[in-house]
Amino acid sequence: MYGGGNIFEATKFDDLATEDPVKLAEFEARIARGEKIEPNDWMPELYRKQLIRMIEQHAHSEIIGALPEGTWITRAPGFRRKMAQMAKVQDEVGHGQLLYSAAETLGKSREAMLTDLINGKSKYSNVFNYPAVTWADSNIISWLIDAGAIVNQMANAKGSYGPYCRALDRICAEEAFHLKYGHDAVVHMATGSPKQREMIQAALNRWWPPIMTFFGPSDKMSTHTETLVRWKVKMATNDECRQQFLDMYVPKIWELGLTVPDPKLHKNADGVWEYTEPDWVEFKEVINGNGPCNKERLAVRRTAEEKGAWVRRALLAPKKEAKYIKPLA
Amino acid sequence: MSLKSLDPRVTRLELPENPTEPTPKPELDQLITYEVFHQKKENAAYTYVGPVHAANEEVAFLFGKEQYSRRYACTGMWVTETKNVMVTPYTDEAVSVYDVIRIQPENVTENVGKTAENYEIFHLKKRGKAHQHMGTVSATSYEDALAEAKSQFGDKKPCVNVWVIKAADMFRSEEEDKDIWSTTKEKEYREATAYRVLDKITKYKEENPVA
Repeated sequence: MYGGGNIFEATKFDDLATEDPVKLAEFEARIARGEKIEPNDWMPELYRKQLIRMIEQHAHSEIIGALPEGTWITRAPGFRRKMAQMAKVQDEVGHGQLLYSAAETLGKSREAMLTDLINGKSKYSNVFNYPAVTWADSNIISWLIDAGAIVNQMANAKGSYGPYCRALDRICAEEAFHLKYGHDAVVHMATGSPKQREMIQAALNRWWPPIMTFFGPSDKMSTHTETLVRWKVKMATNDECRQQFLDMYVPKIWELGLTVPDPKLHKNADGVWEYTEPDWVEFKEVINGNGPCNKERLAVRRTAEEKGAWVRRALLAPKKEAKYIKPLA
Repeated sequence: MSLKSLDPRVTRLELPENPTEPTPKPELDQLITYEVFHQKKENAAYTYVGPVHAANEEVAFLFGKEQYSRRYACTGMWVTETKNVMVTPYTDEAVSVYDVIRIQPENVTENVGKTAENYEIFHLKKRGKAHQHMGTVSATSYEDALAEAKSQFGDKKPCVNVWVIKAADMFRSEEEDKDIWSTTKEKEYREATAYRVLDKITKYKEENPVA
C-alpha cells in the first residue's frame, strides 16, 4: 500500500522561470514521447522536489502503515492468520525500503528522510493516525485501505520517473495478495456469527470517514497542478481516484449486506458517485499532529530507530572507510 | 505521563507523552548501498532488481534475498556495492548508447604488464525497465571492457545505458546452495490464489436474499 492523498507543496519560487529553456524543452519532449526519466538526466528543480516529497511520503506511509496492522499479529485469531498478517506487514516494510531507495536516487539520503519522519517534518498517509481498535479494524485496513492504495499506485506506476515506476511495478504485484487477503478476512467476518458481523460493521463505520479522506481534498486546478500533470508526476486527480475507488468497492461492501455510514452515498445515473463531503477541517487537524494516534506512531517509530542504532553502528564499525553513494536506479 | 496505547505492548514501553526533540541521524546510520540482480529462472539472464542498504556484501545478499526473492520465483542472485558499477550516460530511446559514447582506444604500452580480468556487461533496453546481463568480457580496465562490450554487444539494440562491473566484485549465490530459493507449500497463505471468497459470498447471498 499506501500512497494516496498526496498534497503537493505550493512552491514559493517562480516554478520554471529559472530553468534552462533548452534543457527544459528536451525534458518535456522526452516525457511527451513516453520515455521515462532516469536519475542522471537533467530535470527541473520543481520536478525533483515534488517527486522526493511524493515518494518519501509514500515510503513513510508504508512503514507507519505497518504499525496498526502489526499490532494485531500476536492477537490474530489462529496460526494461519498470524502468519498471513505477518507476511503482509513484512511486505509493507519492504515496500518502504523500495520507495526510500527510489527517493534517494533524487538526492535525499535515507538518514535525512527518516530524521524528517521522526521529527514530524515529513508526512505520511493520514489514515494511519487512527487506531485499529479490534481485529475487524485490521481487516478493514487490509482490504479497503489497500484497495485505495492500489487505485493510487496503479495510476502512479504510469508516471514519468523510472525508479519510482520500477518500485511500483513490484509493489502492485505484491498488493494482489494483500487485497485478496483483506477481502477474505472481511467476508469471513461478514458471513460469520452475528457478533462477527457486528464487529466488522462497527469497524467499517469507524474507518469510512478516514477512507473517504484517503485520496485527499479535491485538487485545485492551478498552473502548478497542470505542470505536474504534464510532467506525469500527478497521474490522476484526487477526485478521479476517489470515484474509481467507490465504483470498485462500494458494490462489494453492499453485497455482503454491510452498510456504508453515509446516507448521501449513491451512484447517479451518469455514473458519478455522490457522497457527504469529508470533514477536511478534521483532516487538517490530524495531519498537523492532533489525531488520535500521531504521537504513538512517531514514538514507536522513534523507539525502534533508537533501539536499533547500536546494531547499525556495530555492523559498520569494521568498515570505517565506508562512503555513502546514492543507489543507481 | 507516559503514552497509553490500545496495544499493551506499546503501553509497556512507557514512552514519554511529550518526547524531547529527536537528534538527526548521523551519516552512514543507514549504512551503504548495494545493487542487486536476480535470475528469474534457470539459464535466464540476470536482471537488475534494485538496491539494498547493508554494512557488507553478505548482509546485502541476505537483505536482497529477503527483499527481492520473497514473492518472486528466483534461481540465483548477484550483489555488488554501488561504487563498483561504472555507468555510461543515458541516451534517447532512438539512439544506441554505443553510438554516442567515445571510447578511448587503449594505449598499447600502458597495457603492458596488466593482466586481463573479467567484467560483467549489463544493458538497459528501455528507460524505466531494468538492466539485463548481456555477457562477460575480458579486459584490462573498465574503459577497455566497454570497448570490448561495444564490439561484442554493440549491435544489440536498443540500448540506452550500459553498466560495467568487475566480475570479481560481484558476490554471487552458489550453485550448490540452490535449495535456498525453493519455497515450501506451507507458505501458500501469502499467495493471492490461496484466497477464494466467491463461494462464501454466493452462499451468503442465497441465504440472505435482498428483500
